[in-house]
Amino acid sequence: MLEKIFCVDDDPITLMLCRKVIERVAFAKEVLTAKNGEEAFAYFKGLAQQHLENKDMAYPKLTLLDLNMPVMNGWEFLDQYLAYGYQDLFKEAKFIVLSSTIDPQDVEKTKNYPMVSDFLSKPITREVLEELKLKMK
Amino acid sequence: MKNNSNKITLLYVIILMFVAVIGHQLFLNYTTDNPENVSFYFYIRDFIFIVISGIILKIILQRNEEDNQSVFEKLQITNNEILESNERYDIVAKATSDTIWDWKIEDDSFLWNKGIQGVFGYKKEDVGKTSKWWFERIHPEDSLKMSVKLYSFLEQKTEKWQDEYRFQCADGSYKYVFDRGFLVKDKEGKPIRMIGAIQDITKQKEEEQRLRLLETVITQSKDAVMITGIDTTDNVIPNIIFVNSAFTDMTGYQSGEIVGHSPELLFGPKSDFLEFDKLKTAIQAYKECFVETIAYKKNGDEFWINFSMIPVTNKDGEHSHWISIQRDVTEEKNKVKEREQLIRELTQNNKDLKQFSYITSHNLRAPLSNLTGLLNLVEDMSIEDPELKEIIAGFSKSTHLLNETINDLVKVVIIKDSPSIQKEKVLIKEIFENVFNQLSFLIGLHKPILKIDLEEVSILNINKSYLESIFLNLLTNAIKYRSENKQLRVNISSKVVDDNLILTFKDNGIGIDLARNKDKIFGLYQRFHNHPDSKGLGLYLVKSQVEAMGGTIDVSSVVGKGTTFTITFKNQ
Repeated sequence: MLEKIFCVDDDPITLMLCRKVIERVAFAKEVLTAKNGEEAFAYFKGLAQQHLENKDMAYPKLTLLDLNMPVMNGWEFLDQYLAYGYQDLFKEAKFIVLSSTIDPQDVEKTKNYPMVSDFLSKPITREVLEELKLKMK
Repeated sequence: MKNNSNKITLLYVIILMFVAVIGHQLFLNYTTDNPENVSFYFYIRDFIFIVISGIILKIILQRNEEDNQSVFEKLQITNNEILESNERYDIVAKATSDTIWDWKIEDDSFLWNKGIQGVFGYKKEDVGKTSKWWFERIHPEDSLKMSVKLYSFLEQKTEKWQDEYRFQCADGSYKYVFDRGFLVKDKEGKPIRMIGAIQDITKQKEEEQRLRLLETVITQSKDAVMITGIDTTDNVIPNIIFVNSAFTDMTGYQSGEIVGHSPELLFGPKSDFLEFDKLKTAIQAYKECFVETIAYKKNGDEFWINFSMIPVTNKDGEHSHWISIQRDVTEEKNKVKEREQLIRELTQNNKDLKQFSYITSHNLRAPLSNLTGLLNLVEDMSIEDPELKEIIAGFSKSTHLLNETINDLVKVVIIKDSPSIQKEKVLIKEIFENVFNQLSFLIGLHKPILKIDLEEVSILNINKSYLESIFLNLLTNAIKYRSENKQLRVNISSKVVDDNLILTFKDNGIGIDLARNKDKIFGLYQRFHNHPDSKGLGLYLVKSQVEAMGGTIDVSSVVGKGTTFTITFKNQ
């Protein structure tokens, strides 16, 4: 069971769903959410600040990231994350793109980001999370 | 001659002396008195007479001889002159290659010089001696016109006659000739003789006809043709020296109005300045040039002109003229414009449709996946109220159906949107094994007899996932639409014919009524059987995928007997 999972999606229902499914599978103790890429990035930026003071501080080891979001979309977020070198700072932080798109080009594109470990199609289900759980062990 | 007169004189003197001697002898025989004296005087006198008359004769003969001599010499000179003249005449005839004829009209005797042999190839003995022979060798099409002219000339008694006609050669072919004749008249002015000179003008005639034919290219052409000089002192484009009628048709300018002016007057405010510049540069460099611009007719109307300028040289290789071919391309231009407009509109439409498919795949799918997710959560909960349970069940079913439909549509959109899909070498057998594994449940359930013959060719230049989807769809269809009262048999085979790979899927299922449904079978959401799982998408997808890979698909089917799909790929 993960300590923290971070869900980034502009749709509150998706977020609610995520929370529910995660609870049912007992996937993570704490579910953090953000409404778009910018909020998500602000969160990581805050973490990075804290990281300067405390190298052993806890950070979400897994983020479920939507692609299609207002203000800053998933791709922009990932680009910025890379640009700030956060993948070196939070070495164990993995991202799973959770999107309603099934465009193979998007799947292909995620391979350019080393911290993205998987591409999942919405909706998130218990089966998928259980499989993930197994994988992470 | 001189000796001759001397001889004659001497002979004359001797003969007379002889006669005189004989005469005296006879006289002596008949006289007696003093004959000796008398005869002696007589002798003397006779001899003197004879000598004198001999001298006189000699003088007369000499005179006569001298006269003869001078006449003879004159004759010889004349003769030489005639010979020379004849020779000259032959040489001239040869030099001009003229064939001379001489017609004595009254007795119709017709004489030819050697030209009739040399130019027309007749043998000496074949050449006729009458005017009939001449007339018979004139081309039938020319003979009437020619004889009318000739006889009117003979009757009018004009001094000269000339005509062109075709004259037959010994080998039967015809030569174009130019014949000039002169009439010789007697004292009363009656024509008695006609002399003519025939010139072979076949080459000129053929050249003339060739040139005339070439000229028709310019005069009859639907393209405007213009010839200009090369002098650019007054104008950038040299002045026009010729335009054909097509030019007049195109621009409205008559030849007389525009010759001597520069083609610049075709250009106007809307003409393409850059194109004009290009033309100017080419003319200065004596280089050919093609321009397209708006031009102006005489009445001021605008039109699109395609305008070429090609430099031509004279036989010494010096640049002498410009030839310009022009065409009104307004219609083509308008068509191009229309086409461009159409392409713009289509591109926009296509963009809109792509946007729509994007909306479908993102904006519709997002809330829909939420619905699915929520229903998944509900499934785990126990619902006591039976009515609510039923409602939730219906809700769930509809949501799943909607989800599937949207997923299918998105799949189609993706296939249609990527014409340049990735192609790779694929083992058909491998693909089939994948499909077999995916369908292992269905295959295990219905236990079809699968006859697979994919040995012949195993490698194909193709998109792997599409081929997999095609196999999957066709095999699933075969199982779905099997006949209930016999065991399912599926034959799958591949073979190479020429450069094509042909895949065949044959089943013994319920079949499709193609007479009714031929047009619809590969259509989107077309269903032919009341099957619960049938959505009418599989064959549409198959066809889209086959075509996206440049292949074709064909179907044949008999209701109750089975269906055969034939897929053909170019195996390059």
